[in-house]
Amino acid sequence: MSEPSASQAGRGCRIEAQDLVRRFGDHVALDAVSLGVEPGETFGLLGANGAGKTTFIRLLTGYLVPSAGSVRVDGLSPIRDARAVHARMGFAAETSRIYPELRVRGFLRFAAGARGLAGRDREAAVERTLARFSLEHVASRIVGNLSKGFQQRVSLAQAFLHDPPLLIVDEPTSGLDPLQREEIRAQLAEARGRRTVVLCTHDLAEARALADRVAVLRAGRLVALGATEDVLGADDPLALFRPGDEATA
Amino acid sequence: MRGLALAGAIAIVFGLGSNYATGELGIFGRVNLLAGGTALIVAAVMALRRSRGFGTPVARGLLLRRGAILLLLVLASIGLERATARAGLRFDWTLDQRHALSPAVIELLGELPDDLTATLFYDAEDPRVRGTRVLMESFRGTGEMAVGERVLDEAASEADRFGITSSNSVVLESEGRYELVGRPSEGSIWEALERLRQRDRREVVYYTRGAGEGDLRRSDELGYSGLAEALATEGYQVRDLVLPATQAIPDDAAALLVIAPERGLRPESLASLQRYLEGGGGLLAFLEPGKSSGLAELLEVWGFDSPDAVVVDPAAGPVEGGAPGVHPLAHSYGDHPITRVLNANRMTFFLQTRPVEAARKPRPEDRLRAIVYSSPRAWLSTDLEAIARGQVPRDRDTATTGRFALVSTGAYPRGERGEREGRIVAFGDSGLASNAYLRALYNLDLVMNAVAWVAQRPESTLTRRPNMLTEIQHPLTPQQTLVMFYGAGLLLPELLLIAAGLAWIRRRTG
Amino acid sequence: MTALRALIRKEAAVLFGSPVAYLTLAMVGIVTALVFFDHLRVYNQTLFVWSSSTMGGFETDTIPDYINLRVLVFLPVMEQLALMLIGLVPLVTMRVFAEERARGTDELLITTQLSSGRIVAGKFIVAYGLVALMLAVSFVYPATSIVTAGLGLRHLAAVYTGLLALGLGIASIGLACSAFTSSQLVAAVSAYAIAFVLYDFTWATQFLAEQPALASFLDQLSMHPRFGGFAEGLVAVPDMVYFAGLGAVSFGLAWLSLDLERVR
Repeated sequence: MSEPSASQAGRGCRIEAQDLVRRFGDHVALDAVSLGVEPGETFGLLGANGAGKTTFIRLLTGYLVPSAGSVRVDGLSPIRDARAVHARMGFAAETSRIYPELRVRGFLRFAAGARGLAGRDREAAVERTLARFSLEHVASRIVGNLSKGFQQRVSLAQAFLHDPPLLIVDEPTSGLDPLQREEIRAQLAEARGRRTVVLCTHDLAEARALADRVAVLRAGRLVALGATEDVLGADDPLALFRPGDEATA
Repeated sequence: MRGLALAGAIAIVFGLGSNYATGELGIFGRVNLLAGGTALIVAAVMALRRSRGFGTPVARGLLLRRGAILLLLVLASIGLERATARAGLRFDWTLDQRHALSPAVIELLGELPDDLTATLFYDAEDPRVRGTRVLMESFRGTGEMAVGERVLDEAASEADRFGITSSNSVVLESEGRYELVGRPSEGSIWEALERLRQRDRREVVYYTRGAGEGDLRRSDELGYSGLAEALATEGYQVRDLVLPATQAIPDDAAALLVIAPERGLRPESLASLQRYLEGGGGLLAFLEPGKSSGLAELLEVWGFDSPDAVVVDPAAGPVEGGAPGVHPLAHSYGDHPITRVLNANRMTFFLQTRPVEAARKPRPEDRLRAIVYSSPRAWLSTDLEAIARGQVPRDRDTATTGRFALVSTGAYPRGERGEREGRIVAFGDSGLASNAYLRALYNLDLVMNAVAWVAQRPESTLTRRPNMLTEIQHPLTPQQTLVMFYGAGLLLPELLLIAAGLAWIRRRTG
Repeated sequence: MTALRALIRKEAAVLFGSPVAYLTLAMVGIVTALVFFDHLRVYNQTLFVWSSSTMGGFETDTIPDYINLRVLVFLPVMEQLALMLIGLVPLVTMRVFAEERARGTDELLITTQLSSGRIVAGKFIVAYGLVALMLAVSFVYPATSIVTAGLGLRHLAAVYTGLLALGLGIASIGLACSAFTSSQLVAAVSAYAIAFVLYDFTWATQFLAEQPALASFLDQLSMHPRFGGFAEGLVAVPDMVYFAGLGAVSFGLAWLSLDLERVR
């Protein structure tokens, strides 16, 4: 497993996407997207439903293989150097991506073990994460019997188990009430500056609150890229999301 | 496309399901298979036309690597399977090694012509065919026999030609001759192969009569016709010899059988036997408790002691209705060519036997040896009356316990026949060679090896003969059946259902 | 190995955290017991008729050789157990990969230290374990009879080895089918279809009287003839290789499927 480079140690990872393309049959989900994320940055990926955000995330995690172009994490390929990249990465997908049959502690134990933690390290990581996300009192509960908010919290918690320098979260507050959203955002805000966070969302308020820089995707193309206040501070930031309106970064 | 593939798969399931359910592929099955196969092919073509996502170098590389591994796995599996099939690698885990061909069969197959074939004729529903197929595979695996199968319905003319009247019959053919085996087993096929071979019958085995000895012409349970057949199968000529009318044992006698004479042998007969043995002859003597014919006294001259008593071996349970232990099951054997193929798992059965101890050597160069023993817990009883009535002998308390010899041998290197040496095998019981018990357990191997040794055949012929299988036919008792049913059949599922309920509750409330 | 162990523990916890596994095992036990008990009852009745004085009885050696526990009870029950395996095992394996895909948790797995090969290995191991448990439950009843009937523990081991090989072979087919879809229904149906096709090719060889080489090849490819020898106490290495090959090829296909999903 490659070690994080010295410049990223303790600050997160660098991400570089170069002319990234992904097709599904005749449909082009991502069309030559190029962007970079600096270490320690919280980077917002915005766009309407179907814009290509999840596809980009999947290419970044290595779940999908690009049709053309490349994406790199600290210079490593998520396909060819999968283990090294995944050692650096914590990924929190949407709520349904958990195992409802398991208890909370059991699910976190599995996630820690799957990331290579064993023995005391694993147990310590699980307990630390339970405490961090205030999940101790539901640790023995079946995940499937928890409320949506708690399930989301569990899903986010497993991404933090191995203290990764890169955190990828996809729609972390989708379907939550305001209080629950605040809890999740607090966790993400705490990570700011200490690790690279790629936040995939279509909630502009969330992006304004958390992201240093944002990119906006529309119909698979990158239509805006820059500091959050620049991109979303325009008179009509929703114009970026409407089909047919082109804007350059 | 997916719907088409799913429909195609369901059609195939129902098409083949009807085949398995009814035993034949009728119209319903054929239509479903045709429709299902067509649907799957169309779905596959549609999927291929839509699969354009594999054009990138990374994708191609990934698919090529996985595809190569897959191909390698398929080829390796096929190659290894073929190699192990050609090598005939298999393990016989049956209790009685029923699938391992005996050395006698393997040797015989090597001597038969290369055109030897075996054809199994059968009805499809016959449950016995499976076992016979496995047996034929064992023969095929030797490489000495070509094996085939024919369904009787489709082979009427051949069935007529060979005289086949029932399913599960095997026809052996070689050099234009054939033998039909109606109840195939290793033993019956071996005997048929021997008949095909037409072994030159050189050695002559004589059996005495005239003093009430066991009769090799008699075919009921008390007779010894089975022994005569076994001798003929193994290439001996069997002739009788009326001892009282005989001045001398014929010179061509390879072996002489004296089977438990009922009446006393005349002095002239005993003198003939003595001269025969002094001249280097071979004798198989079968004694019996309670019979005093002079045979035991003759054997005493040659170094054997056989008191008129019964060996009672408590290690053997009650058999054939007698008192416990009066019919020993022997599984201890001395090191001798006769018993080299026998061991603790290959027992021999004796029906009331005298001890026959190799007591002393008439001359220093003589070699006497006990070859079959009772267990160390056996004792000798002279209460023959009680034993004859099926009762427990009354002299247990005064008897000495120990290991007793049930069969002994003697080799006497002298005689006037050149390099031949006189040989004796003395059995304490004649019942083990009778029609009722010759083919029980490994009695046949013991008796026939004794004949071969006495007749001074090559040691390689002292072998283990094909299994004469006896299937377990006795039922399980109702109590045994019920205990098993309640235990494994009901209790276990009950516990599992309780576990299922607990898991469900846990899921709902955990 | 840590990640693989974690996956195996998780799979087992998911499997046995659901009542379905226990229900399947219970059903296997009940069906086997009923089938075996029924065969035994008929056998005892048959034997009673043959051994009664009007038929001659044991002493006169008139009971045919094929009237015995092995041929009339044990072997037919083994045949039915084999068919039961075809019926039940795809129901066990259909959810293994398909459910992961349907939930989207395969995406979670890919981002751990688990490679696609290890993911497949972990799931195969646990599914195989459940099938072995199914067979152990189904075999308790016949096993006690076998030992009582004097066939010997090694013969028992041979039969169980054959059933296990067949069960794992069918499980391998089911797992490969599950890996290619996110629908449990499709996984089960396709597994049934392939298992039915591969079980016995006599439905095809009847049309191949003029092509004995092809008929022989198809015969070599089918599962049922391979199973027969085990029931007779014979452990043939080629048959073991066949079932191991089936498992290996299914593993390869499942692995390929996981990677195909990423490049399609």
